[in-house]
Amino acid sequence: MEDNNLPTRRGFMIAACASFAAAYGTFAAFMARFLYPAETAVGNWTYVSTVARIPQDDALVFRTPGGAIVNIARSLDQPERLMALSSTCPHLGCQVHWEGHNQRFFCPCHNGIFDPTGKAIAGPPADAGQSLLQYPLKEDGGLLFIDVPNEELAMGQGEILDAPSPAACKLPQVPRVRSSTASSRVSV
Amino acid sequence: MIGSWLQERLPIQLDELKELTNEPVPNHLKRWWFALGGTPAYLFVIQIITGLLLAVYYRPSAESAYESVRYITESATFGWYLRGVHRWAATLMVAAVILHQMRVYFTGAYRKPRELNWMVGMCMLICTLTLGFTGYSLVYEQLSYWGATVGANIAGGVPVVGDFIRRLMLGGDAYNVNTLPRFFVIHAAVLPMTMIFLIVVHIGIIRLQGVTEYEFEDDKDDGPEEKAKTFNFFPDHLLTELSLGLSLMVLLSFLATVFPPLLGPPADPLTTPEVIKPEWFFYVAFRWLKLFSGTAAILSMGFVVFVMFTWPFIDASIRKRTRFTEASVWIGIFGVLAIVGLTIWEAVVAH
Repeated sequence: MEDNNLPTRRGFMIAACASFAAAYGTFAAFMARFLYPAETAVGNWTYVSTVARIPQDDALVFRTPGGAIVNIARSLDQPERLMALSSTCPHLGCQVHWEGHNQRFFCPCHNGIFDPTGKAIAGPPADAGQSLLQYPLKEDGGLLFIDVPNEELAMGQGEILDAPSPAACKLPQVPRVRSSTASSRVSV
Repeated sequence: MIGSWLQERLPIQLDELKELTNEPVPNHLKRWWFALGGTPAYLFVIQIITGLLLAVYYRPSAESAYESVRYITESATFGWYLRGVHRWAATLMVAAVILHQMRVYFTGAYRKPRELNWMVGMCMLICTLTLGFTGYSLVYEQLSYWGATVGANIAGGVPVVGDFIRRLMLGGDAYNVNTLPRFFVIHAAVLPMTMIFLIVVHIGIIRLQGVTEYEFEDDKDDGPEEKAKTFNFFPDHLLTELSLGLSLMVLLSFLATVFPPLLGPPADPLTTPEVIKPEWFFYVAFRWLKLFSGTAAILSMGFVVFVMFTWPFIDASIRKRTRFTEASVWIGIFGVLAIVGLTIWEAVVAH
């Protein structure tokens, strides 16, 4: 005797395909979400140090929780004015070096050149109008905070990487940025 | 006795097996440069074996990766040799893939009906280069760190999806604690599995379509009896491949012993070295990135890769619609000269 409650062949196939698509689609979405890192929270004020710790003639190197390296220093003409300049080249992410004799920042990866205020003046960053990033700073009761992207599980807490040293570069009228002494040639 | 026991459990007919493995091979394959396709396959097997052994000691984290590579190189018994073979086999594999692709290109072996296999080959080229890139990222020396940073930011420069890919690669906004394990998984699991799949498809298509047949002057009939146009895969061609495999093992051992891979300075996220160069096979891209702004360089490189992928169809269109039937040869010569020129340029200058 024929059972009228049995689904049709077409109905069964549609239900089966839809079930598989839903089950494995959800599985795939969970996998993709697992692989994709946590979203960056933009605009978190992060504590850096006391304002008094920022020296007159040198830079304080700070690593943000997102992993970016920031140089914080005072302007020579206005010592109370603080600036935070990224030392990451906006082209492809290498670290720029200060070249004292040329009064410029130089990126060794693809020959990007920036003036002392971080403005690109030659190389691929200048072609694309990319300058070194400046981060907002604020003082609150003698404490210094920086507005940087924050990210869970990135590099942990923000931290001061390099205490100021007398041998730092001499920049005119602008914040001092850590000068690299690296001269090693990396080859394979 | 054992034969019949096995026959019952593995009902394989030896005659069928012989026929399957003994396909006649065209005469032109006696030339060594037609064996360049088998060379990277052989080297890939070497890479799997040496890679598995290196993974026994390698620790994929920013804190321990460099030290574990140092241990492999300086302390583990024959570690220096296995790392050397892995490194040199990678270099030779890239070179062999490029030479094989050039041979296929200049002999027009990508033309109808072999367009799809050319595209599979292009996927294998990209896989090979990505294996090289992720491989040297694992050492966690300065080149590893900055190479990974630049590579991820190149991906980030792709319009629309770039930022998504960059964050997926790095596991965050910048190089962080999640990055190295990702590169290790990609290098040691994802890419090798992809490569095995592509090799099976590549060889499968070759077997289905047969090898392109060429006839060179000295293959042509020059005597009273016409020469056979094919020879046996077994044992003739197998002997060629075995000779090649033996030569490669000797060469790899020589290179690993005389020119062992060294360890550069450990990764320093604060300092990009004054002079930094990627592996030789990325010199052309590295120089290109110095010549143009980021987006222009990335888009133009993407365009070149797209043209290479679809070349069989572009070539067919040129041959059909114009009288420049051999345009591919001149375009190929120009392309090779441009790549060699940019590579030499990058090799001889500091910046």
